[in-house]
Amino acid sequence: MNEHSRILEREKLEIAETLRSSDADLRLPAMVPREPFPIEPLSPDARQQTRAVGQRVTRPDGRLHGLGQTKYIDDLSFPGMLYARIKRAGIASARIKRIDTSAAEVMPGVMAVLIGKEIPTNTFGPTFQDQPVLVDEVVFHAGDGVAAVAAVTEQIANEALDKIVVEYEPLPAVLDPVAAMRGDSPKVHAPDSNIYATKVVRKGNVEKGFAESDRIFEGRFSTQMIEHVSLEPHAAIADWDANGRLTIYATIGRITLARSDMARTLKMPMSRIRIIGTIVGGNFGGKNEITQEPALALLSKKTGRPVKGVFTRGEEFTSTTTRHPIIMDYKTGVTNKGRILARQIRLVLDGGAYCSWSSTTLGKACILSPGPYKIDNVLAEAFVVYTNKTMTGAMRGFGAPQVCFAYESHMDDIAKALGIDPLEIRLLNAFDEGSPSPTGQVLHSVVVKETLRKAADRFGWEPRS
Amino acid sequence: MTDVTMTVNGQIRSASVPPETTLLQVLREHFNLTGAKLGCDVGDCGACTVIVDGQAVNSCLMLAAQADGRQVLTIEGLASRAGLHPIQKSFENTGALQCGFCGPGALMSAKALLDENLNPTTQEIRDALSGNLCRCTGYTKMIEAVQDAARLLREQSRTQLTHAPTEATAP
Repeated sequence: MNEHSRILEREKLEIAETLRSSDADLRLPAMVPREPFPIEPLSPDARQQTRAVGQRVTRPDGRLHGLGQTKYIDDLSFPGMLYARIKRAGIASARIKRIDTSAAEVMPGVMAVLIGKEIPTNTFGPTFQDQPVLVDEVVFHAGDGVAAVAAVTEQIANEALDKIVVEYEPLPAVLDPVAAMRGDSPKVHAPDSNIYATKVVRKGNVEKGFAESDRIFEGRFSTQMIEHVSLEPHAAIADWDANGRLTIYATIGRITLARSDMARTLKMPMSRIRIIGTIVGGNFGGKNEITQEPALALLSKKTGRPVKGVFTRGEEFTSTTTRHPIIMDYKTGVTNKGRILARQIRLVLDGGAYCSWSSTTLGKACILSPGPYKIDNVLAEAFVVYTNKTMTGAMRGFGAPQVCFAYESHMDDIAKALGIDPLEIRLLNAFDEGSPSPTGQVLHSVVVKETLRKAADRFGWEPRS
Repeated sequence: MTDVTMTVNGQIRSASVPPETTLLQVLREHFNLTGAKLGCDVGDCGACTVIVDGQAVNSCLMLAAQADGRQVLTIEGLASRAGLHPIQKSFENTGALQCGFCGPGALMSAKALLDENLNPTTQEIRDALSGNLCRCTGYTKMIEAVQDAARLLREQSRTQLTHAPTEATAP
């Protein structure tokens, strides 16, 4: 090949290359990059601040909120929609002898009435399936639903509830969680024990720790039941269409869990259920599971019309989950200088009538109950028990706020008795970088002491000796 | 049935409703203005707050018939074609709205306050919002938002006074 033809060849190649690359911007790479994602996860070092920290963002949905245009469940309506209301038991523990819905059924405007026996699988729950949608034989707490009504207006539905007659045979109620643990206590879900979940965290030897301690302190702390009180009450719309497909619009945080619970209670394939989670007007842990949805679905099936159900504020308190009240017994062995040598804890969680997220709460409360302190000898035992009260479930922190109140109050008591500054006793015992937690987890990014010092500095804490 | 006629957001609206119908029900169900929310139905939470003749009221406690012949302003009447109302702007910018359910009520209480007083103290803002419960924000952002809105409105009224010929402010 002479020089001339070589140049021609090169020019031809260049032209072809230019043509080929003319639409390069539009093409996808011919081959997937070998490493489409970094194998090493991109995690910043502990306490390193990224540029996002401190930046202000506006909520993408804030505009519609401010305009009043956000559509929550109660702002939706469908043609022919009915309103559902649920009759509540109003008695803590009872056997249902008779339910007579005939007077309600013949009321003008009442389209359907539903009782617990009509629900294909009348139990649900995220942990144990111990909660009936509507109770059929036994009432477990006063907020239990006994019957549901769908009517053309909410007012007619309310009136219909008054026409439903329920005869109860009262049963002994269990209201004190500590008494509920005793063998001779009446059983909420007979014949099983009222204790339905336990957890024990054991580290070192508390007996040995107490023996070595100069002083031993004991204290009992208890917290009360708390309702989430999200501003938007629990609300849902069920639409069972003629093809046997169910659409639920619900103010719910966990649509996949809701879908499986619905499939279970209604005994229908999950593929026939569509859950549309709308904007939630406050959750705080209280809208993580289904409540009235299966009843609404069956009312919709009975009537062939969409059915809306919105809880009243009263029902929010009596018939939805709440924060666990916990009775917390602390026993702590310390040296005269305030160093904690051993801590024994017993937590009794009042679980209410149903489990809901109790075992999650129990676990977290138990693990966190010794507090953020280096203690070589720990024994924490936690029990959650059934009582005939409103069920308890998930709420911000899953048990952490309760035990925090207890161990910090206990620390203050110890500091006062020993004549040590409350800040000092915490600095003496608090976790350091690499400290093992009571369950043996080696902790990193530990800034308890820095936080305490900074906070004390900011609000002007001075030792009051 | 009772016939009620009222001016809602500048428009004359009427409906024929059962006498026990509340103002909130008539707004939501008959006029399709779902901005005001039903939170408690007993006047505790303030999610249903609207402005009737310049005063913030819990519309769940007011009968529709009581609003007959009066001026009602709801959250839907706050923004105009020109844009968001300064209160809406500042609530959005400060992050005073989280889940948003209490928002329309809180905004209307703030509006009623700022219509009366363009220089509210923090305590006056707290008092004005005391009937509006919120579980998300802890109220601090809302108070900031109202202060911010007050500043915007003061600037607006100054420019209007100095430059523009007097123009009736939006209802």
